[in-house]
Amino acid sequence: MRRKFGPLTILEYICLVLLAVLFIFPLFWMVASSMKPEAEIYNDMSNIKAFLPSFHPSDWFVSYKQVLLRFHLLGYIGNSLFYGLCVAVGSIIINGMAGYAFAKLNFSGKKVLFGLLLAILIVPFETILISQFTIIHSIGLVDTRLAVILPALAGAFNIYLFRNFFMAIPKEIIESAKLDGANTWQVFWRIMLPMSKPAVATVGTLAFIGSWNDYIWPLMVLTDKSKFPIQVAITAINSTDPVYTNQVMAVLTISTVPLIIIYIVAQRYILEGIGGSGTGIK
Amino acid sequence: MKKWLLVSISLLLMFAAVGCSKSESVNSDGKKTITMWVHISDENEEGKVYKKRVEAFNKNYAPDNIKAKIEFIPRSGNGGGYEDKVNAALTTSTLPDVITLDGPNTAAYAKSGVIAPLDEYVKDQEDLLPSIKQQGTYKDKLYAIGVSESSVGIYYNKRMLQEAGVDLNTLPTVDNPWTWDQFLALCKTLKDKYDKPAIDMQLQSKDEMLTYALTPFVWSADGDIISKDGKKAEGVFNKKPTVEALTFIQTMLKEGYTTRTPVKQAFETEKYPMKFSGVWTVTDMKTNYQKVDYGVIPYPVSPKTKKLVSPSGSWQFAMTQTSENKEWAAKLVDWMTNKDSNVELSRTIAALPVRYSSEKVMAKEFSDQMNVFLKQLKETGHARPVTPAYPQVTRAFQQTIDDISFYDQNKDIQKVLDTHAKEMQSAIDKAN
Amino acid sequence: MSKIGWKENRSVYTFLRPEERTKNKTRWKENVVAYTFLGPALLLLSMFLVIPSIMSVYYSFTDYYLLTPDMRKFVGLDNFINLFQDPIFLKSLVNTLEFVVWVIPLQIGAALGLALLLNKQRKANTFFKVAYFSPVVMSLVVISVLWLYLLNPNEGIINNVLTYFGISAQPFLTSPKQAIFTIVVVSAWQGAGFQMLIFLAGLQNIPGDVYEAAQLDGINKWQRFMYITLPLLKPTSIFIFITTLIGAFKLLVQPMVMTQGGPVNSTMTVVYYIYQTGFTDRMVGYASSIALLFGTIIGLVTITQRKLVKEDED
Repeated sequence: MRRKFGPLTILEYICLVLLAVLFIFPLFWMVASSMKPEAEIYNDMSNIKAFLPSFHPSDWFVSYKQVLLRFHLLGYIGNSLFYGLCVAVGSIIINGMAGYAFAKLNFSGKKVLFGLLLAILIVPFETILISQFTIIHSIGLVDTRLAVILPALAGAFNIYLFRNFFMAIPKEIIESAKLDGANTWQVFWRIMLPMSKPAVATVGTLAFIGSWNDYIWPLMVLTDKSKFPIQVAITAINSTDPVYTNQVMAVLTISTVPLIIIYIVAQRYILEGIGGSGTGIK
Repeated sequence: MKKWLLVSISLLLMFAAVGCSKSESVNSDGKKTITMWVHISDENEEGKVYKKRVEAFNKNYAPDNIKAKIEFIPRSGNGGGYEDKVNAALTTSTLPDVITLDGPNTAAYAKSGVIAPLDEYVKDQEDLLPSIKQQGTYKDKLYAIGVSESSVGIYYNKRMLQEAGVDLNTLPTVDNPWTWDQFLALCKTLKDKYDKPAIDMQLQSKDEMLTYALTPFVWSADGDIISKDGKKAEGVFNKKPTVEALTFIQTMLKEGYTTRTPVKQAFETEKYPMKFSGVWTVTDMKTNYQKVDYGVIPYPVSPKTKKLVSPSGSWQFAMTQTSENKEWAAKLVDWMTNKDSNVELSRTIAALPVRYSSEKVMAKEFSDQMNVFLKQLKETGHARPVTPAYPQVTRAFQQTIDDISFYDQNKDIQKVLDTHAKEMQSAIDKAN
Repeated sequence: MSKIGWKENRSVYTFLRPEERTKNKTRWKENVVAYTFLGPALLLLSMFLVIPSIMSVYYSFTDYYLLTPDMRKFVGLDNFINLFQDPIFLKSLVNTLEFVVWVIPLQIGAALGLALLLNKQRKANTFFKVAYFSPVVMSLVVISVLWLYLLNPNEGIINNVLTYFGISAQPFLTSPKQAIFTIVVVSAWQGAGFQMLIFLAGLQNIPGDVYEAAQLDGINKWQRFMYITLPLLKPTSIFIFITTLIGAFKLLVQPMVMTQGGPVNSTMTVVYYIYQTGFTDRMVGYASSIALLFGTIIGLVTITQRKLVKEDED
């Protein structure tokens, strides 16, 4: 890539930075608010100090200490990580397989099933919560970790996403692999998935985020608190009067940071996938 | 790499499958288990008290081979989560023996046969405060007992009032409350002095707080939301007393004494001199805003009736219809709300007691501010309407407040009331 | 004739049979393979989405009250008749459509703009991508609470910035006129980072040599965008359009947290109303009928859209 620093490039950078500020400032506000006493949050509300932590470094971690004293956050975070990882890995495999079938395999009923898939996208999740619980109950999974994970695995959106990515992969690659003696599963596992790293990373990240941010469903199927995810703690902090905004912000910061890290890691993977695959699609 | 992945996935799934199949109703040590769900986390102060009290219950009744088990299901702000879980358990007949429920849910739960009456088992009801009995009673039977009481009052900043030339000794008390007109005059003084709204009435919170905090104005004017038998809203809600009460609220807005768009925590950060809020703000002031020197005054009253009415209500314990050990479930409900539990809870969190016996203990320990709330509650507390259609009724009420707060578009309060009374009535008719 | 015919028939038979047989066999084999791949997803989707949805369709013809599940009975079309006389439902339908009409161009436009800006080799791209994506990562509830603070009409930062530039302070969420637009902007802002990511993946799938060839033909940047980039982005765009459209129709959390549907029902959306009637009012039957009707509407919109913009299969 050639590099030239014309006025256009500079303008571009100014644009990028301003947009970044626009998108990222709530995050800063959240972190800054977690690092100051409650009263300061409201006094700073109307000026730039809202985005700065307290001027007394000794105040910075007080709310974190309080939150950690009040709640066994580590256990909850461990649970959330476990659910998130299971859901992410599971969604990639299960939805990837289905997406592959829709994109590259011939079978009867394809059109109907695909239409059904789009119809499923429409279902507002909130309206079928109780019925979903009835099903979990009837297969005897209430109060198990599996009950949290299973319903989150298959998703019409993710299948659709995978299908779109797989459709872009040229037929010739699959055929040449088949000539080399690969079966359908090997084609999927060794060629389709590795060649669709952006899709894999996107679905994985999304599934993880979705599972991480879910509150109502885990609470509904679990009663044993040792299995509760982090959102339950957040809600508990957020809904018992009096609510301490700085503590809320602290626990939100604690719960958002892993997501950002996961995204950055996944992000690197996407770049690698596109830059270094050298297999047909660029 | 891929093998490793596969192995770890299958391990994860296996791990996920393990850890199921527990929760039996008879314990391995041969004890009968009474299970109870509560709507908060055991990591909150309130949850910790419940936990301790359950331990005490188990110790006390150990000879009877009874064991209570408490499970913590933290609700979200609007009651979601916990209530969804109760509803789901209801559809699959897997409710525990004892549940907690919010005050206004009593009627719906009792009518649908979710919870069972306690009268047969809980004999000593005389000790309960009237507002608590009112809240837990449906069709003359006691179904639920409140864990703690709450109330709302007017917080004022002593310094800001004094600087505006108000003599703090002339402020109203529970025995000698102010009328709406007197209160408007105070607001005028404060508004003229600070050129800001005098009070944050939390009118922007379009939630249960609106109903909870504002219905006492209607009651004070001798009006009501629905009739005593819970059957009529039309011809009750859209009557003159309600118009008077809402005119008072509208005047507060029109004159700029309060606002639909308050600055956040304006009272706590000494921007507004007054705030209309519940007892829980006392704890907030103590932990986060110690510098503010404040007092509490009771509700202002209708100039016509001069009758002081204040809100009341809280979450309660109740036993379920499906419980197989009703006697012990009722005993647990009773235990969780008895004098000892009550005193312990009131000491730990800023909550008002539910019994005369515990009220006597707490009155000596409470701060001046808390005692204003306590006295106001004991003498004037009024429970919210008891009806299975409560969700729709309260929303129609909130909608009414929302509508009249746009006073230039809705000058005719009567018309607004007629519309929403009709909504309430149709919901009540459907539910009954 | 018959004899010959028989012979002919027979020869045709013997001629066709093996191919047909292998054809059927491969077809059968293909089906087995495909359904093995679809299996886990189909099983889970039917268990947790299809069956519950069918149950919900059934409920929409009953008077199911949440607290008395055993006492529900069939009421025919009663719920639907009530629905068309329910002013709040009709209002919520109008609000939802208004939201969709505004948020779709705004959000997709913003996402495409961001993706185009980032579709270049740059050291700092990772940082920008993370920045633009960060609102997607944060939970909707958190985002909504945050904006509630920022948009406070009296002391919120947004109004402070506006007054600094000489624009008078706005009521935003507290005005029946502005509330829905404020939610449009917040939602577009929150979601755009995600569609950006998909656009970006689509853009990076466009082979570089296409552009190089175009460069030789001497077309300018605008032409390049209009005649090369956009057509090649078509599959991605269709995907984004459909999913964003459906997502927009399902708007719930933002109004629930920021305005509770107010002021004066100006931000009551259909899904929020479903939630309210189903969970708060416990009228599951009624809520299910709204869901069914609304699902049909979204379905029709999606089908029309797919008919209008025919997707290039393969």
